[in-house]
Amino acid sequence: MDLVLQLLFTGIGIGAVYALVALGFVLIFRATNVVNFAQGEFSMVAAYLMVVFSVDLGWPYWLSFLIALAGMALFGVIFNLGVYYPLRHRTYLPVIIATIGASILLSNSVLAIYGPQPQVLQGWFDTPGIQLGPVYLDSQYLLIIGVTILLVLFNFWFFEKTLLGKKLQATSQDKEMASLLGISVSTMIMITFIYSAVLGGLAGILVAPVLFVSIQMGSTIALKAFAATIIGGFGDVAGAIVGGLALGVIETFGAAYISVPYKDGFAFLVLIAFLVFRPQGIFGERVAEKA
Amino acid sequence: MKLTRREFSAGLAAGLAAPALMRSAWAQGATIKIGMCVPVTGPAAEQGLWAQNGAKLALAAVNKAGGVLGKQVELVIEDDQTTNPGIVLAFSKLAAQSDIVAFLGSIRSTQVQAMAPDVIKVGKPVMIGGTNPDLTHSGNPWLFRFRPNDNYSGRVIADFGVTTLGKKKWAIVHSTDAFGTAGGKALTEALTKLGAPPVLDQGYANQSQDFTPVVLAVKQSGADVLGTYFTFENDLGIFARQLRQLGVNIPWVGSPSVVAVSSTKLAGPALFGTYGVADFAEDSSDTAKAFGKSYRDAYKTAPDNQSAWPYDAITILSAAINKAGSTDPNKIRDAILATQKFAGAEGEYNFDKNGDGLHGYNVVKNDKGKIVYDKHIDFND
Repeated sequence: MDLVLQLLFTGIGIGAVYALVALGFVLIFRATNVVNFAQGEFSMVAAYLMVVFSVDLGWPYWLSFLIALAGMALFGVIFNLGVYYPLRHRTYLPVIIATIGASILLSNSVLAIYGPQPQVLQGWFDTPGIQLGPVYLDSQYLLIIGVTILLVLFNFWFFEKTLLGKKLQATSQDKEMASLLGISVSTMIMITFIYSAVLGGLAGILVAPVLFVSIQMGSTIALKAFAATIIGGFGDVAGAIVGGLALGVIETFGAAYISVPYKDGFAFLVLIAFLVFRPQGIFGERVAEKA
Repeated sequence: MKLTRREFSAGLAAGLAAPALMRSAWAQGATIKIGMCVPVTGPAAEQGLWAQNGAKLALAAVNKAGGVLGKQVELVIEDDQTTNPGIVLAFSKLAAQSDIVAFLGSIRSTQVQAMAPDVIKVGKPVMIGGTNPDLTHSGNPWLFRFRPNDNYSGRVIADFGVTTLGKKKWAIVHSTDAFGTAGGKALTEALTKLGAPPVLDQGYANQSQDFTPVVLAVKQSGADVLGTYFTFENDLGIFARQLRQLGVNIPWVGSPSVVAVSSTKLAGPALFGTYGVADFAEDSSDTAKAFGKSYRDAYKTAPDNQSAWPYDAITILSAAINKAGSTDPNKIRDAILATQKFAGAEGEYNFDKNGDGLHGYNVVKNDKGKIVYDKHIDFND
């Protein structure tokens, strides 16, 4: 039983990381109908910003955190203007290719500027974790889980209760209609990119103390997060969270009870099963309706 | 004299081509070229940089001492992207340059395995750092190893743990790539011979984000000592932290990555007190100390095995070409194999018929973040 609880905690912790990145995927997909393959690099860039401010410049952690997130907001604007906006009237394919290109550009730019050496980023708390009976709770994972819960609540409130959230929803559902109603579609998409960049950045900063800050940290998480969005249902906010958590738990238990080397295999096995038997995901709308 | 149109065009073509041909002949003769496949990008780009540093340091020394066959030596670097397809491509690019006389391959066994068939086709000496024993034991005459192979690391880990630490219940954790699998196998064999077969043999896939299931398996096995073969330092860092967090504090003797510079930095206190076999230990010999000093002077950072083996490879390869008196691949091969009692940064090189230069390891300890030399264990068979 102790073992199960420990695995459950870790599974939820790592799943929450996937969920945070998956959320970024979903928001951009809803607004633009394209998958942003640079979403993982958003996390990586933010983690490096954190290293620059907190480690290199030695600024207080909270200040570095705020500046890094502000930096990510700006980054979202640049990304939107540089990658999405010029191609907005084209089909989804050139945009997807552009995001892949941006992802390669970003990781290699950071490599060129910062060098290939992985960096250490301290966690938010001084205590590494707490022992709760037989289960060890890593403080950083606790923080990640807490932030994920807060974000779920925030997203619900933001998208369902605020005018801006409703405008964003309207834009993602039908751009022409939204435009006719006086909503500035470009502004809404811009806001979506900013929000996604901040979310991805938040995930990167939170996970950096656990996984270290490295060029490839984003891509490994993004791959799983992408699988999580498909499992949860592409385009569904709740789906991304549930998909991410489910994936984290499934792979952790699969690794513990069946095979460690095939840990990643379980995640993708679940993905394949969903693609075959329920392509719309857990919460997703039917594919036919989207088309 | 009347020129036909054909003679005129032939003459014109020859006239146009002559400067280019002369330039290429001059270029071929001016320097001795050594190709190097090394990660410039990808997960091991960091270590790739150190490998280049080590090679360049040796190159500078060789050139300062008069070069090879009276010519300066030049290093031609190609990015292997830290992947198997990457190194195959990098090697074929280098192999296409016919004036390259020998090559430096990878420190990663899986990459050496990937390029091995092409090495046989090219038929020129390739210096390697990959430690999978099979690489030099599969009848490929062109691979020369500048680090001790995993048969020795396995034997040294087992010997140190069982004889020196007196521990018999072993848990083995290893990567499932070529390096980790071969290492885990070698350690299991060595332990079995010493009468202490492992109670757990646990593989994991590279670039894992979480090691909780592995740590719990170690904990449940009841092992009193841990032996590891980790390929990537960030995996090792995550594992080490989770191991300590989940309360596993048994002695740990690992492959070289446990005591590598970046692991020590990434994992911090989680690796304090661990032992590692290290092909390179700065305090193990005078040559190693001298290498350490010149490396620090040049790059302002501590050297490790990533930079020591290319340093030795360039040094010994250059000496061998000089001794062979020619760049003929077969003559270079014979000269490398004839290298005996050569003091290198990694240890004393005594090449055997397989192309293995070293036959033992240093055991070092992480003493509160400082890597200290403990003992050297060599085998004669």
